Amino acid sequence: MSLSIFNARLLDPATGLDTTGAIFADKGRIREISQGRTTAHAEAKVAIDAGGLCLAPGLVDLRVKTGEPGDEQKETLATASRSAVAGGITSFVVMPDTKPVIDDVALVRFIAERAKVSAATRIYPAGALTTGLRGEAMAEIGLMADAGAVVFTNGDQPVGNASLLKRAMTYAASRGATIMSRPDERALAGSGVMNSGALAARMGLSGIPVEAEWIGAMRDTALAEATGCTLILDQVSTPRTLDIAAAARDRGAKVFTTAAAHSLFFNEHDVGDYLTYCKVNPPFRTEETRQGLIAALKRGEIDAVVSAHDPQPPEEKRLPYGEAAFGAAGLETVLPALLSLVHDGPLSLLEALAPVTCRPADMLGLPQGRLAEKALADLILFDPDKPWLCERENLRSRSTNSPFDGRRLQGRVLRTFVGGEEVFAHESLA
Amino acid sequence: MARAAYHHSFEHEHLLSIEGLSPLDISLILDLADNYAEATRAGRRPDPVLSGKTVVNLFFENSTRTMSSFEIAARRLGADVVSMPVAASSVKKGETLVDTAMTLNAMKPDVLVVRHSASGGPKLLSRKVDCAVVNAGDGTHEHPTQGLLDTLTIRRNKGRVEGLKVVICGDIAHSRVARSTTLALHLLGAEVHLCAPRTLLPSGTETWGAASATTDFDKALNGADVVMMLRLQLERMDGAYLPSRREYFRYFGLTGERLALAKPDAIVMHPGPMNRGIEIESAIADGDRSVITEQVEMGVAVREAVLHLLAGGAT
Repeated sequence: MSLSIFNARLLDPATGLDTTGAIFADKGRIREISQGRTTAHAEAKVAIDAGGLCLAPGLVDLRVKTGEPGDEQKETLATASRSAVAGGITSFVVMPDTKPVIDDVALVRFIAERAKVSAATRIYPAGALTTGLRGEAMAEIGLMADAGAVVFTNGDQPVGNASLLKRAMTYAASRGATIMSRPDERALAGSGVMNSGALAARMGLSGIPVEAEWIGAMRDTALAEATGCTLILDQVSTPRTLDIAAAARDRGAKVFTTAAAHSLFFNEHDVGDYLTYCKVNPPFRTEETRQGLIAALKRGEIDAVVSAHDPQPPEEKRLPYGEAAFGAAGLETVLPALLSLVHDGPLSLLEALAPVTCRPADMLGLPQGRLAEKALADLILFDPDKPWLCERENLRSRSTNSPFDGRRLQGRVLRTFVGGEEVFAHESLA
Repeated sequence: MARAAYHHSFEHEHLLSIEGLSPLDISLILDLADNYAEATRAGRRPDPVLSGKTVVNLFFENSTRTMSSFEIAARRLGADVVSMPVAASSVKKGETLVDTAMTLNAMKPDVLVVRHSASGGPKLLSRKVDCAVVNAGDGTHEHPTQGLLDTLTIRRNKGRVEGLKVVICGDIAHSRVARSTTLALHLLGAEVHLCAPRTLLPSGTETWGAASATTDFDKALNGADVVMMLRLQLERMDGAYLPSRREYFRYFGLTGERLALAKPDAIVMHPGPMNRGIEIESAIADGDRSVITEQVEMGVAVREAVLHLLAGGAT
């Protein structure tokens, strides 16, 4: 079906385009970008007057967990996709830590098939780096890549055995596969539940020290350098970790970094009175660290911002802080979190959009994440200023464990299109 | 100064931590506890201010001492008491906490006294129930009635708290007693010095109100009015946090020789149970400067005061 969105503020981080205009899409792709145009394309079946609001590529999210298969009470691919489109995310990568673990070809195909029949977004499976995520034996990286796995990761349980990780990287490099690893030295992180420091000591909670991430990053980047493997450092939480990545890149290593959107919004004090919705790993750090991450994002040193969506039902969160599960539902709050750095921080709109559109797409060699002729018509129309109150019960994820619950946010997605088809319209448009 | 020269009412629904209490709140509790202590010493039965009230002791961690202390305090004031030691290992702990709380709440108790191994456990519970909640120790967070009984013991022996030099020595990192006692003493104007091996001395103790944190016990003892020793869990020795028991005793054990560095009238305290010969010499623990048994006595008095203020109507 053909679509014309006109009188819009066109935003394309890939080219730096920020101007009034219109786009025309047909058969799932963008056919025409008309700068300056404030009227509909006559041949379009559907014409939408954007009224000057922002039109940007749909967001690409590199880190989403669902409960499908095995924990469908937490989230399915379908429910996650409905939450995603409400947050402007049109493509996402699902992590392999499900039951069973996505560690063979049939399971990769299962995810791809389930996504196709049930989800509103494009969904890309990540394959397990080791069988069962046990960190003992390499999984079938080549076969899973051929079946559609876009990246390989051990998820929340980084491979402890450096020798195995080195061999897996060596092998992955030979197959052209990318590895995503959470930099985390488990022996140091231990049983920690929040950022290590004076606040954790005062609250009587065990801490996760920043050194655990630094040592993990030093190990992983050294192995990436030695093997030539493309490495994504998953959910970096301190500026120094970015420095470690940059130093490895200077020596020729192919290293990318991501950060969770909530790490750019919250600091350790948000844990407050043992609020388990703020229990995430990596933990919210100090305000100084958060500001350092924001400054690094402004300089373009964080390649991608992810939702780190990790749905957890009440029975996993209504526990004493130390015993509650890690993880935050995040699909609907990535864009508002980034827009808060435009409204109250140093970012321009294009700088806020680049790490969730063209940059993550480029990391995985995906064609989307840009406004260009022949590009996929995955689009969002959003009002960057619209104020709203984030309330848990209104979130569309099956689990609503959001640290943003009760927060006033600014910026809302009004319409989302995947392949030129509208998959979300905000209730204010009804 | 006459202690009843001010009027102050206790406006708290629960007692979950020392943090959040004002110096006046603490003084109010201590004054009332003092009265209860004197009544007991004089053999007088206090007014049954908790008559018809139900106090439930919910202990997810074993502690015969603290549970008995709360039980005796509640009975002296005429309450009906149910004590439930909940075996933490039998069920998944957290579910037991909230589920048990909801179940008990439906039985309409007036006070829930809770001990739990997780920091913040009683706080979570207080959000789910309609009655008053008393934290009887949560993880490594706080143990407010212990902080209060320590403060009362010091005030009774020294006649004041303000301006005293108090040294607390032991496993500061894992001690909820250190946190509550430091906060309470600081609020009443004492100068609290924390002392431990570096591996058991967390950063940021100034936010608890500590005047200093040091690894030099001898130096800390200089001029001290009060020396409080903390229990060191045996599993933390033997290489995990420090090399050995004898090395710990060498640098941090309280001996007669070391006690001589403090003021001649310095008192010795310990929240119990003690590891004799590891953190404290038996002769000191049983000596005439030890007020350890008075701490236990004040424990009952403080708990009477707390239960009275939370559930017994106006004082």
